[in-house]
Amino acid sequence: MSCCVLEEEDFRRCCLLLLQRSEQLSDGWSWEAVQGSEEGYLRKTALRPVAPSPARDQTGSGSDSGPPASCQSCPDPQGQEKEEEEESGLGASSDIAEDDEEDEDDGVCTVSEGSSQVLQYEYHILHSCSYAAPVLYFRAFTQEGRSLSLEEVWSSVHPNFRLRLQSSPLNTITLQEHPLLGQPFFMLHPCRTEEFMRPVLQAAQEQHRPVNYVLSWLSVVGPVVGLDVPLKYSTQLCPAAAPGSSTQPG
Amino acid sequence: MKMSDNAESPIETQKEESQPPSDESTTTDDKKKIDVLLKAVGNTPIMKTKKWAVERGRTIQSLSQFISRFLKLDGSEQLFIYVNQSFAPSPDQDVGVLFDCFGSDGKLILHYCKSQAWG
Repeated sequence: MSCCVLEEEDFRRCCLLLLQRSEQLSDGWSWEAVQGSEEGYLRKTALRPVAPSPARDQTGSGSDSGPPASCQSCPDPQGQEKEEEEESGLGASSDIAEDDEEDEDDGVCTVSEGSSQVLQYEYHILHSCSYAAPVLYFRAFTQEGRSLSLEEVWSSVHPNFRLRLQSSPLNTITLQEHPLLGQPFFMLHPCRTEEFMRPVLQAAQEQHRPVNYVLSWLSVVGPVVGLDVPLKYSTQLCPAAAPGSSTQPG
Repeated sequence: MKMSDNAESPIETQKEESQPPSDESTTTDDKKKIDVLLKAVGNTPIMKTKKWAVERGRTIQSLSQFISRFLKLDGSEQLFIYVNQSFAPSPDQDVGVLFDCFGSDGKLILHYCKSQAWG
């Protein structure tokens, strides 16, 4: 299905649009060009707190009414289940009230005992010709400059995705050589990209409206590895809390 | 799991003992409910009950877990949720905020799709 692949030229075009929006939102993306060519990648660094704290890493997402996110440290046995207690008010709604199962907390996991409070993440968005899709590369360092191991990276994957990613036969997050820089980076494997992009692209095609492939893709994969994509990328206009008013066509 | 058989009406709370559900002036913003309409995409099973009243403070992750259990997805299946069929909201995103920005005709429409595990 050709609508679900992204060729390099379109990749660059999407990146440019994303970049423009990023500048408007001060979201920190930059385009790093490979010398002497049009080839390049999007790059962004972000600090990510990992200590237990009431505030979640929600920069720019607009979600500040969230309940406290207790840190789900790997060796924390009682933290594994029933982390939804802060949402216990929601247990009141009979429709969606599954507190008795392992509702994993959506906090960021501590990396290891005695580690620093903040990690420096670096994210790169490259284009893969063989998959005709964008690919997310990333690496992370502690404040002391130590790079994270694969295990530590896995433990910091968002709980919403962690189980499924880990249960897949191939490792979804692997350490790879960065195609352009030659340095070791973690990579989120692109082989499922077409699958989760298909609903977006088909709808866009049917409704004759444009969609930014890279932005839509990023909104899916970003949160997996702690990269927040602010809502404002997707709103042309966000009304001042007016429920019921239509903001988007279709 | 208690579930209402009435698919069309907002689900009333059953466990809120200390708060009168109808008195919104005493409930926090997070407890106010918004209407969510869930639409299946692709081969994903269609939920028998599509319309749900969801507290504003509920996260997408929580909703995703609910849908996954409702549909009895197995451990290897990942659920994806889309807003405007154009992007995926962060799992930590509150549905109330999404409703404010993307709701129309008094409801937030979310498309969902299941996929085999990554990789």
